[in-house]
Amino acid sequence: MWLKMLGGIIIIASGTSIGFLYANRCCERPRQIRQIISCIGSLKSYISYVSLPLAEALINCTNGTCGAVKELFQKTATILKGNGWMTPQEALQQAISETHDLVLEKPEIEVLVVFGANLGSTSRDEQTNYLDMVQEQLAKIECDALKLRDQNSKMYRYLGVCGGLAVVIVLI
Amino acid sequence: MSINEIIHNQIFSILPPNIVTVLGRIPVSRAASITEIRLRVDKPLLLVLGTEDFMISLEGRLIQDAQYACFCTQEDIGRTFQLICRNSIYALEQELKMGFITVKGGHRIGLAGQAIMKDGELKAIKNISSLNIRLAREVKGCCDLVLPYIINGEKKVWSTLIISPPRCGKTTILRDLIRTLSTRSSSFKGVQIGVVDERSEIAACLNGVPTVDLGVRVDVLDGCPKSEGMLILIRSMSPQVIATDELGRQEDAYAVREALNAGISVIATVHGQDVDEVANRPYVGELVKGRFFERYIILSDSPTIGTIKEIIEVKTGDSLYLHRQGVKACG
Repeated sequence: MWLKMLGGIIIIASGTSIGFLYANRCCERPRQIRQIISCIGSLKSYISYVSLPLAEALINCTNGTCGAVKELFQKTATILKGNGWMTPQEALQQAISETHDLVLEKPEIEVLVVFGANLGSTSRDEQTNYLDMVQEQLAKIECDALKLRDQNSKMYRYLGVCGGLAVVIVLI
Repeated sequence: MSINEIIHNQIFSILPPNIVTVLGRIPVSRAASITEIRLRVDKPLLLVLGTEDFMISLEGRLIQDAQYACFCTQEDIGRTFQLICRNSIYALEQELKMGFITVKGGHRIGLAGQAIMKDGELKAIKNISSLNIRLAREVKGCCDLVLPYIINGEKKVWSTLIISPPRCGKTTILRDLIRTLSTRSSSFKGVQIGVVDERSEIAACLNGVPTVDLGVRVDVLDGCPKSEGMLILIRSMSPQVIATDELGRQEDAYAVREALNAGISVIATVHGQDVDEVANRPYVGELVKGRFFERYIILSDSPTIGTIKEIIEVKTGDSLYLHRQGVKACG
């Protein structure tokens, strides 16, 4: 009996955790997209006003940011510094694959890859226009991600708890 | 730092591995005389040693026969350009407009390719087909011969124009003059010097900080146009001497006059064979005709680069020092 109860509690706790995990991912995604937009805004200033070389600009633009997005930009900068042959796009792709805490999905990753494609290869004015365009695209994706968060985060939590309970009932 | 160390530490990092391998095979004694490395698409890799150029074989021998020479490809040039730019073309916008980029160590890399024009002005250069890497070298003591002719007492420096054809060492001698004049010695107290380093060649600044020894009383305005830079330094840093490289434009001549009229000595360089040739140039010629400077130093590459050909006192027109066929004639 005690064993059954213990097993039931564990199953419910696991289900709840999985539900909360998915809900957190839902909440984290728009937050990370917002951080990327803000880093790109800062990067734009470092490029157009200070004219910092790309690797240094990528490091400096993360000031005030923390977590996976900071790690992503700093990894990209480190890869670029360590390997002069690599294009920003290749460096960014490598950094995305190495940053495990990112919860980004296909649409924003595609925008990030496009962001890397022309990074550093044009004049300051053109870089500014280009980064404006990337920011706009990310802002649209952020809007969608916020809607999804509102719809899904509660649902995932309830699903987790209820799923756990359902499994326990079936097993009893 | 010896020229071999410069090549290994600063130049190899901006060249593709195949070219580094070939250059690494050159005997150390020959490598020490390299002044330029020239890369052209589908043409042999060319090295300039002193005043003579050589091709280089895959084994690292200096040759004159293109048949056995190491050739550069479009990819080599592209990779070198990428390494020089560090994926930051926007940061080199001004330099690209002027046709050269200065890299760490003050080495100037000239570019040639296809020009992109906008509103009649050069906007950038694309499809780079030629690169000329000119090695900057710090030769401490190379101004020792000149120094007694341009200082006046313990604190005053005569305004001096260094006249020289390209590749005769005018920037090297200017750099050493700045270092020596800004350092206190037994005969000279040292002066505050403002350097306007438009092309980052004199001070070889990295993040605004000089990477070569310029002495202790030097303020460097890096990457700033000479004319604006000189006026900024006059207002902000109150220097006793302003040093700058390669005068040419109308604004440069105006700024030099402003500095001289403000009681500041100016040490500058200009391209030319002799005083008459410079006098015929627009704008800078007016400075010569108006006798704004007090000393002219004329350099030559014969018998060696950096030879002081003549030092002239402008007021009297007297030759203070004359070098003829390797023999000092007076002074």
